Amino acid sequence: MRIYSAASEETLRARKQLKEWAGEALLTQEQYQRLEQETVSDLRTTNIFLRLVLFFFTLIIVGAAVGLFFVVFLSHPSEATDGVFFLIFSVICYAAAEFAVSHFCLYRYGIEEALAVCSVGLLCLGMELALFNSRTYSSRSYGTEALVPIAGALLSLWIWRRFGLWYAFPAAMIFTVFLPRYWTSSYAIQHVLVTVFFAIGLICVAAIRLRHCFDYLDDTYSLAEAFLWLGIYLAINLKLASLNLPVRWWMVGTRSSFEFAKPFYWSTWVLIWCLPPLVLARGFRQKDRFVIAVGAIAAILTLVANKPYLGWQRHTWDPMFLGILLTAIALFFRRWLSRGAGGIRHGFTAARLSENEKHWINVGAAVTGLVSPQAITPAPQPSRPDPFGGGQTGGGGAGGHF
Amino acid sequence: MTIFARLQRWEEQGAISAEQHAHLASLSRKEPFSLFLELNLLLYAGVLAFVAGLGWTVTTWSRQIGDVLVVSFLTVILGACFWYCFSRAPVWSYEEISAPTSLLDYVLYLGSLVWCIELAYLENRFHLLSGQWDLYLLATAGFFFLLAYRFDNRFVLSLALSSLAGWFGLTISKWPLHQDTAYRQFSLLYSLLVGVGGAILRRRGLKPHFFGTYLNIAANVLFWALLSGVFERHSSGLWFLGLIVACGATLAWGLVRRQFAFVAYAVVYGYVGVSSLLLRSFYDTTAVLSYFVVTGVAMLAVLVLIARRFGRSE
Repeated sequence: MRIYSAASEETLRARKQLKEWAGEALLTQEQYQRLEQETVSDLRTTNIFLRLVLFFFTLIIVGAAVGLFFVVFLSHPSEATDGVFFLIFSVICYAAAEFAVSHFCLYRYGIEEALAVCSVGLLCLGMELALFNSRTYSSRSYGTEALVPIAGALLSLWIWRRFGLWYAFPAAMIFTVFLPRYWTSSYAIQHVLVTVFFAIGLICVAAIRLRHCFDYLDDTYSLAEAFLWLGIYLAINLKLASLNLPVRWWMVGTRSSFEFAKPFYWSTWVLIWCLPPLVLARGFRQKDRFVIAVGAIAAILTLVANKPYLGWQRHTWDPMFLGILLTAIALFFRRWLSRGAGGIRHGFTAARLSENEKHWINVGAAVTGLVSPQAITPAPQPSRPDPFGGGQTGGGGAGGHF
Repeated sequence: MTIFARLQRWEEQGAISAEQHAHLASLSRKEPFSLFLELNLLLYAGVLAFVAGLGWTVTTWSRQIGDVLVVSFLTVILGACFWYCFSRAPVWSYEEISAPTSLLDYVLYLGSLVWCIELAYLENRFHLLSGQWDLYLLATAGFFFLLAYRFDNRFVLSLALSSLAGWFGLTISKWPLHQDTAYRQFSLLYSLLVGVGGAILRRRGLKPHFFGTYLNIAANVLFWALLSGVFERHSSGLWFLGLIVACGATLAWGLVRRQFAFVAYAVVYGYVGVSSLLLRSFYDTTAVLSYFVVTGVAMLAVLVLIARRFGRSE
């Protein structure tokens, strides 16, 4: 099913680990050079920046080529004709992605990724136009338009499995979120259906993962599991919409609590408290970084959403208490772990083991240092003259004029 | 072959020692598992949430609480943060130094953000500098640069660079005419100042690891300024020339130094600039789309060549 051989991917993984170990002086330079010769892969890779640029230009080429075809060869076509040609282009893009990998051995190279992504987009667009255009609108009453997100989800899942592109998995989940809208008008049932879909996915991924502990697919399934936990949490939490968070679009709808039956509403409140400890426990047990991160995010979101859930008033100082709590938790765990024998307790340590971790913190520090002053600047209060002159904090690039 | 089988084989071949085998195998099994990154992120989120709440509370309740209490509270936090940082600071060095406790970085960041809030509060309530925000920003930038170099802190360095950018922006906003051109010229000046300043400090061996931060900011500001000049319908020629020169220099530097972020900047900004200039005279959809297909393929071919020649390693 996978387009790359297991041996090639394992070799690439080993090569990457060798580089890390050499960077941390766990191997001498001579050892590294010798062992590197044994991890030569037939797959063609590139670095993240060139990968992004190659992805960008492939998208431009596909978009322009499809547009050019319609402009040159089709004058005033019907929507159904457009749709059929989009479907043909989707097939061509997918075939080109397969060809690029099988003939040129591209691996996370940007080009094959953009072609695969375009095949999903064109498939959905083509199906929408070919099957559900204005002239055949009556077919919508039978709920068959759900075929579009179903096809999008299936192709995304296939691309995730076949090419190993991690972002195809959340794309499939997003398509899945739209499905229940076609089948029921009940918001509660929509939430339940999305949760059930993700829970089924989670059970499948967890079962398959058992066979891939510590091999090259471990990270892929770890990320998929983390996305599924996050998806379940977001589907259950009915109050995220009231928090003005960017995740609002994810919600099945933006409704007030009175639109849900009381038992359902309070069940979700119980669940949003139960889920974070469960996810965190699973993450720590599996030593899975992505699942731990989702558990932590879910826990923070639960703390933030609790007051709206209970109908309590939110205060301006709530974020201060949240900040103190988060800092206290981080400090407690750091101290507790460092007091263990050799700075280790139960197989966990607060010490840095990899240069990569420091590198990511440095990159994050540079980026967030530029962004955070704007992010934390409070919005002007409409009811009174703004004593901060429009939210400038007097430094850190908070000036709104540059 | 899994990594464990490889390690076993390497040990049998004598390529690695038994101790190395045991250590690397345990690392591959995630034993021990490091929570360093997670705990740092939690600390960062904690500081950010606290300062957001503090700013929000001060903005909303300052009149009810009273100036004395607000200023005292902010000053106490500020004093405590800087006392903590200076009392635990390691001996200063030209080179990169690690903080004695990783908490120090976040306390310093908290202090810097509280400094911003307190300064803004004082000026808004008491108009100490008669609303001259640009002076505050300049002073803040200088103060943050000192802190960044004293404590070897990238968070505060980024704050200093953005405060300096804010000073340039606020200064220009007071000028009555030709604002776009003035902004553009001062963006160029800012990027030159940051780029050259970073290079000089690096040459003098003063925290040379900060150079990447300087250069990334300088390159992006420079390209945005040049692109905005190219987008001007009138008098875009000089800006276009500047863009081409900047793209060429950035591309060469990126390739020589294997800094592929700069290759990406040069390619993307250059393509956008050249396309905007060339497509001005195209009114036919077919011609525009053909342009994107042909130039896209050409760019792809060049990038693949670059990737094969220079950018193979991850």
